[in-house]
Amino acid sequence: MHNPHPVRLVVEDDYRRSRLTVFFRLLLAIPHFIWFFLWTVWVVITGFVNWLISIFTGRPPSWFHGVMCGYVRYQAHLAAYLSLVADPYPGFMGEAGTYPVDVQLPEEPVTQRRWTIGIRLVLFIPALLVSSTLGGLTGGNLGSSRGKKRNATGGGTLLLACAFLGWFASLARGRMPKGLRDAGAYAIGYTAQATAYLLLVTDRYPNADPTEMLLAVTDRPPRHPVRVAGDPYDLRRSRVTVFFRLLLALPHILWLVLWGIIAFLVAIVQWFVTLFSGTPARPLHRFISAYIRYRLHVAAYLMLVANPFPGFTGAPGVYPLDLEVEGPQRQNRWKTGFRLLLAIPAFIVDTALSGSLFAAAVLTWFYALVKGSAPWGLRNLSAYALRYDAQTNAYLYLVTDVYPHASPLEGDSTEA
Amino acid sequence: MTRRRAALLLPAAAVWAVVAWLLWRSSLSAYHLPHLDEHALFPADALHHAQHFSSFERLFWLGRTVAQLVVLGLFARYGVRWMRESAAGPIGTGMLLGMIGFAFVWAAELPFSVLNIWWRHHYGLSGSYAQATIGNWFALGVQFVLLCVALAIVMGLARARWIGERWWLLAAPVFVGLRVLLAFVSPWLLGGTALHARYVTTLERTEHVHVPVRVLSGFSEPNAFATGLGASRRVFLWKPIVEPPFTPRMDRFVLAHELGHLAHNHIWRSIGWYALFAFPLAYLLAVTTRRRGGIGVPGAVPLAIFVYVVLQIVALPLQNVVTRHLEAEADWSALRATHDPGAGRQLFRLFGSETLDDPSPPWWDYVFLENHPTLMQRIEMTRYYATTVRGHVHP
Repeated sequence: MHNPHPVRLVVEDDYRRSRLTVFFRLLLAIPHFIWFFLWTVWVVITGFVNWLISIFTGRPPSWFHGVMCGYVRYQAHLAAYLSLVADPYPGFMGEAGTYPVDVQLPEEPVTQRRWTIGIRLVLFIPALLVSSTLGGLTGGNLGSSRGKKRNATGGGTLLLACAFLGWFASLARGRMPKGLRDAGAYAIGYTAQATAYLLLVTDRYPNADPTEMLLAVTDRPPRHPVRVAGDPYDLRRSRVTVFFRLLLALPHILWLVLWGIIAFLVAIVQWFVTLFSGTPARPLHRFISAYIRYRLHVAAYLMLVANPFPGFTGAPGVYPLDLEVEGPQRQNRWKTGFRLLLAIPAFIVDTALSGSLFAAAVLTWFYALVKGSAPWGLRNLSAYALRYDAQTNAYLYLVTDVYPHASPLEGDSTEA
Repeated sequence: MTRRRAALLLPAAAVWAVVAWLLWRSSLSAYHLPHLDEHALFPADALHHAQHFSSFERLFWLGRTVAQLVVLGLFARYGVRWMRESAAGPIGTGMLLGMIGFAFVWAAELPFSVLNIWWRHHYGLSGSYAQATIGNWFALGVQFVLLCVALAIVMGLARARWIGERWWLLAAPVFVGLRVLLAFVSPWLLGGTALHARYVTTLERTEHVHVPVRVLSGFSEPNAFATGLGASRRVFLWKPIVEPPFTPRMDRFVLAHELGHLAHNHIWRSIGWYALFAFPLAYLLAVTTRRRGGIGVPGAVPLAIFVYVVLQIVALPLQNVVTRHLEAEADWSALRATHDPGAGRQLFRLFGSETLDDPSPPWWDYVFLENHPTLMQRIEMTRYYATTVRGHVHP
């Protein structure tokens, strides 16, 4: 097991949202945007000085450490407020323990290896890549002149998707959906770890594992009828097959496309069956489940989430990252009738997560070629993205009428 | 060898020989080419250029082939270890092993491909490093897909209980069928623009072949080919051959050559030859993989690939004999259709300077690499035509 990351997320949010502040959230945040911009300029200057001193001393001075910690916390508070992961208006000083979505940071500066301090900016690039797909670190910290829109929302793709969908949901229900809240909190947590690493608050590399990030601070979502099962420590990768992975997956991709065409036609038939009888036809359910499982296997192989070459049949129980699908259940006819429309929000989150999946795959490719194994955090981030994709497809293809759960935590006790 | 097997093999060999004889029959009767001096036909510096260029090209081929054999030999020995990287069942695992084998071959051949491009540039010929590396990478992907289809067929049949060890009897016709399908479909996929030249209609009338003639862009070398079956028959000319320094007279000769292929059913005959080679090749694969449990077992795939490649190399001289025979017949057909041996002679001389083909390569090059008659042989044939059918010679 890993030691816990020194930068830890704290979530004490109760999901309730004030419709009024939600509606005007962006406008209300204008003072924060100005303040954040000024603080970013200040951190760029002091951060450079901090870096120079730390190269020689191997340890950031306490005063600089405090400034950087305050900035990391304030960034998290602001991102949480903007993306509706938290409700109260945040303070301007990034004080610890003052906001429902907070970050615990090392109280004292830690001694770090000098060479990692020296090339911190280079080492930071992979984390930046992941962070920009999750929380949009580029907008917040690395020069606000680039991409004003991203800066204004404080979000990357996943956080932005959560904020966008959460805005409608919060206005309608006065509550933030747990899945979106958790996904947003995860993105904020990772971004905080990445920023802390860049600003020399810690020398521990950001950890993308969703379970470690969230399990201690929030509950698991309810058990979903479509679940991913796999060993999160299945990390060995064959360098040869990793190097040629894209080409080796080509036959599978072609097969998947052909199967996808048939599955699409079958889903149309299933739609009529479910609409009239209220329950999906079992043989069609089995066929579509196999297709979705096969899709997961192929994506897991292609994106380096799993190592072995998958089979072509989508059979259950034969692949290290597998899909468990419950049998056909009675479905709500309204949900069935408007399934395509209802699936749109899930597609938005799915698209956002596919960006993270791709970034994780690219990084894992390099890592696995060198080390012969996949990084634990990225593997589990990818498993999360694949699980959500499978649940989205299961929902769209009428395998279940339970909506995909955006929470990075797997439901029940099964870990991905 | 048991008597029963001999009793089966002998008639099979006899049938093979009869079919080969039928396919070999040609409109080109026995001929003796006059011996010409290459130094009299090609300028000394052009000849030297072509010979020097080709000598290294041969070395690259030799290097690539040796690398391929070494890699596949090692893979046949140790490739089984990659079985653990698969959760795909026997056939999927076989596919994975096959793909890994060819991936290694690609990696081993890569330096030679890059060197080859450098060598071509050295002689002012075209060639792209991106094509030789990244382009070949994508080509490898296509190869993987085809390989998987082939292995799925072969292993699927070999694992079928009702056919068992005689899978090759069914696999060979399946591959021949696929070859027919590919030959039929591929012309429609190539595109190109129609060639508008006066001589097209005249030649089509002379050769009794009426097919679309199309020009393909995106090539840097002069070439042409005929393809297709039935309604899909086409002649394709690569753009450089319809541009200077090639003249319309030469293009007419080229087109007549390609129409000659179609007029003499060379596509069907090529498929016939393919079928003739497919049966013994599949049989030998079945025999050699038996010790590893047969080709239906994924562990036998690395060996099967090695054997397949070795057999391909062994069969190369025979295949080249066949293709040279067909090309000679097409040349003869072009001479009879155009009555213009002068155009043919100029064309082949120009090929020498444009593509830097060695007009008279060494014997082993001729045996293994030349699937067309050499430039000297082709020029000699124009002379043979001019002297034997003198009355029809154009000035």
